[in-house]
Amino acid sequence: MSDKVVISGMGIVSSLGYDLETFWKNLVEGKSGVKKISLFDASSCATRIAAEVPQEFEEYSRCLVRKRAAGQMTRVTRMCLVAAKQAVTLSGLDFEKEDKSRCAVIMGVVNTGNSSVEKDTSPQNTVFKSMTNSMPAWISLEYQLLGPNFAVNTACASSAYAIAIGMQMIRDGNADIVIAGGADSIINPEEINGFNALYALSVANDPPEAASRPFTATRDGFVIGEGAGVVILESEEHAIKRNAQIHCELAGYGLSSEGYNIMAPMKDGEGMAATIEKALKNAGVSKSEIGYINAHGTSTELNDRYETMAIKRVFGEGAYRIPISSSKSMIGHTIGAAGAIEGIITLLSLKNNTLTPTINYTDPDPDLDLDYTPNVSRHKEIGVAISNSFGFGGHNATLVFRKYPGI
Amino acid sequence: MAKITESTRNEVREIVFAFFAEECEADKSHITDNTNIIKDLDGDSLMFLELIEIFKKKYNLDIELKTIGKYAVKHPVETIGQLIEMQMLIIEHENRILELEK
Repeated sequence: MSDKVVISGMGIVSSLGYDLETFWKNLVEGKSGVKKISLFDASSCATRIAAEVPQEFEEYSRCLVRKRAAGQMTRVTRMCLVAAKQAVTLSGLDFEKEDKSRCAVIMGVVNTGNSSVEKDTSPQNTVFKSMTNSMPAWISLEYQLLGPNFAVNTACASSAYAIAIGMQMIRDGNADIVIAGGADSIINPEEINGFNALYALSVANDPPEAASRPFTATRDGFVIGEGAGVVILESEEHAIKRNAQIHCELAGYGLSSEGYNIMAPMKDGEGMAATIEKALKNAGVSKSEIGYINAHGTSTELNDRYETMAIKRVFGEGAYRIPISSSKSMIGHTIGAAGAIEGIITLLSLKNNTLTPTINYTDPDPDLDLDYTPNVSRHKEIGVAISNSFGFGGHNATLVFRKYPGI
Repeated sequence: MAKITESTRNEVREIVFAFFAEECEADKSHITDNTNIIKDLDGDSLMFLELIEIFKKKYNLDIELKTIGKYAVKHPVETIGQLIEMQMLIIEHENRILELEK
């Protein structure tokens, strides 16, 4: 019996679209979702730009989320439920035919989105909107699932952790299906001023679309994004049995903690490298098999330098032959959702034999000399790819994706 | 103790029906006294509390939620009709509703 875990569905809500097709098309075309902040008056903030989910999403979500439930959710929780429903629809799952006690939900949740920009909160809905377990709870309620249902918080690696834990749950035989991913939004004055105080955000407000420029000499911090990414994980055996379309194999993961600093990554990317090594071992893939790296690539001084060093440390001279790209150049940093959204981009890259670019790569940092897939997408057949997520507090995750035969 | 008139009864019914139609996105003409709040309308227990708040304000009622909670444990509400009857009792007896048990 195979212990492989596959992905049979996925859903996306992002600044570049809230359906997979539009999202992918925009990524391949190298578009930016970064604009002036519209969710609140940011004129007094040092950073006045972000990659917001288009306002039209609200209208779209009304078709998928019941009005009463929607009122009990924050905007970002609605994004999460919508992405989950998209993923379930794509998977073709009918939970009425499944053993619901073996269907789990795990979401990476850093922020509930219950900030000063959240609108129309009644006293009765305040608690629901601030519950950090609300995202997995609503998904579980939607399908009346009876398996484990919880949130994990490992900062910017949260949804990658959720996917890894879900994978292990299936490997261990504790679930047939896991709905895994995450959603996040920190586009509010409190978070922006807080991150500005840490000099973590880009203040290159004009033009907004040029602000996120990972791996360049002029990078000056990350740009906040928002959105949701959800995948359907299931055992290969279960997927084949129900004749599901398999989009990709989730081959393995590496999770680790740096035990070093609440904000800064470990010097020279040592912790990042250890995480990638763990992931490759867990997946049983050799270094030479890796054909693409979807980088954490935040556009901050330290991350991009240390991630480059980590890749060199792991792959040696082979690092120069592996295309790398940072999706954050286009969709910003979606914090708790980043691992899942970028994992889906990695999956789509494998499936479509196309690598999405690092846009705004106009001024290379001479110290960072790898192939960052500059500015334009690239056709390339790849068999195995990894996606990195590294969070404040030293939470690291790397996911390994393998092309599924026949797709 | 407030006296319940036919006009009050009709007003309460109208508010309850309109509330569930709006909150549950249901066709008001399809809601009857026998409609099950959870099974038929996909409603929730919080709706009961929200309605009590509406009636508290409207009729300036002296009623505490814990009092209603104690009463509701022994008289569970499942249908729209049962809910309307309980609202009438609350309006009529307010905090003295528990005395009906004696």
